[in-house]
Amino acid sequence: MPSLRSAAAARRRILGYARGRTVHLGSSLSVVDVLAEVLRRVHAADPGAPRSPVVLSKGHAVWALYALLAEHGHPRYTDAHGLPGHPADGFPGIDVATGSLGHGLSIAAGMAEAFRLDAQERPVYVVLGDGELDEGSVWEAAMFAAHRGLRHLVAVVDVNGLQQEGPTREVLDTSPLDRKWEAFGWRVVPADGHDADDLASALDLAEQADAPAVVLARTVKGKGVPFMEHDLAWHTATLDEARYADAVRGLEP
Amino acid sequence: MTAVTAAPVRSMRTAVAGTLAELGDERPDLVVLCADARALALRFAARHPERSIDVGIAEANLMGVAAGIARTGRPVVVCGMAPFLVRRAAEQLRVDVAGPGLDVTVLGVGGGVAYGTLGASHHAPEDLGAVAAMPGTRVYSPADVHDARWAVRDAVGGAGPAYVRLGPRENHLVHAGDERFGPDGLLDGTLPADVLVVAAGATVAPALAAARAARERGVAVAVLRLVQVWPFPAAAVRAAAHGATRVVTVEEHDTGSGIGAQTALTLCGSWSGETAFLGIGHGPAPVAEQEGLFRHHRIDEAAVLDAVMLERGSM
Repeated sequence: MPSLRSAAAARRRILGYARGRTVHLGSSLSVVDVLAEVLRRVHAADPGAPRSPVVLSKGHAVWALYALLAEHGHPRYTDAHGLPGHPADGFPGIDVATGSLGHGLSIAAGMAEAFRLDAQERPVYVVLGDGELDEGSVWEAAMFAAHRGLRHLVAVVDVNGLQQEGPTREVLDTSPLDRKWEAFGWRVVPADGHDADDLASALDLAEQADAPAVVLARTVKGKGVPFMEHDLAWHTATLDEARYADAVRGLEP
Repeated sequence: MTAVTAAPVRSMRTAVAGTLAELGDERPDLVVLCADARALALRFAARHPERSIDVGIAEANLMGVAAGIARTGRPVVVCGMAPFLVRRAAEQLRVDVAGPGLDVTVLGVGGGVAYGTLGASHHAPEDLGAVAAMPGTRVYSPADVHDARWAVRDAVGGAGPAYVRLGPRENHLVHAGDERFGPDGLLDGTLPADVLVVAAGATVAPALAAARAARERGVAVAVLRLVQVWPFPAAAVRAAAHGATRVVTVEEHDTGSGIGAQTALTLCGSWSGETAFLGIGHGPAPVAEQEGLFRHHRIDEAAVLDAVMLERGSM
């Protein structure tokens, strides 16, 4: 099952996907540890119970999901050929098609509503980007989930601090995120988005909360490849062989 | 041939609210959502409060939540005011509902110009075409309570996304209660007719009235009353137009993306004759109720009669 160990291997895969085609590298590298922990929990659950869905609302980071699914043994994701740049239906391990930002939290809230009607206790996970929080529909969904008491809805925000055109604080300052989510009726759990133990503890707390809960995962865009970290130039990129080799050499052991 | 009467008038909202309550009894998995506009959902909610959700004035979230519920296998009905469902929530409807082909029926109250003096923000003359352009959708435009009930049942009972435009006020009864509605519509008059009128929704009443007046003047007119407008019943339109020398379409809808355009595409190359496409254009409109706006846009009885009676070659 995916774990932070597989996240390290997944980073190499993400870089590999970018050989010859454009990939959202920075976001995929920032969120891969978060996704690895979420998938680990999903697959560690009782195999007899229905699996919890994972909604990757920041769909442009799908390369992290592909890479982790490849590590999990899905042969479809061993190379980038024929893979869409955002999650699409009909691909193994992809629960919800996304890509247009600001949609995932509503979809996840709907799933949580349905599971409650079905008297199912399973969590619904949704992963958002901090730039995505500019979208008003996110906050419509946040209000809705709190109002409806969707306590099995677990959101994680990949707070890498950068969006397409610059730092989030400069493009549209959504801080303070903790107080905003709290004001919208959510339980807020901060975490180091690259620390396995911290993420696991945060998600434990989020899953046990008495209201919808959000893990604010502090991350680094481009994490793991020193020359990509904190650098918007790698938001999307195609790697030639030399750059790919540089990037792989830079990966932490 | 169907008996047509100008009275009594009836409310689609009241009729469909009853249909939804019945569907809730029949389908224990059905969920009904609304966005602070509960008229359609009230009776369902009274019987099935646990399956009725009001998301507040938040249509984008409304459609996303519908998608999430439908992804778990439950059918969903979304109720609301047409302009806000098809415009504000258009992306969620397109990407989250229609794209994956989810079992979500959208009931849009007040498409076209039915909200009258509430103004342009509340008009949606593009709703049917906008939803029809989304993948895998079925689109209905009923004319009265009878076909509205059928349309809602057909929409909810079919697989995949559907949209039903409903009137916000009261509509003349134009259909008999026991008619067998279907995807090919209903024909009023006998074929072959000299003039075929194709209408749907609120323009069925003026089309039928104009046809009666034309027949009194000796013109053989048939009216094809469509309820399902997408997928467009091309074969039925082609068959009804066979032998006609003139085809007139009349719709409370943007002329370029509705039944007029579809009729033209259908007949192009397989039928020749004169045509008139009556619908809503892009110009400014006066502040008026639906009836006045029908006059302004030339989609009322007088305009249809003019189009039916016009001398050949002058259109």
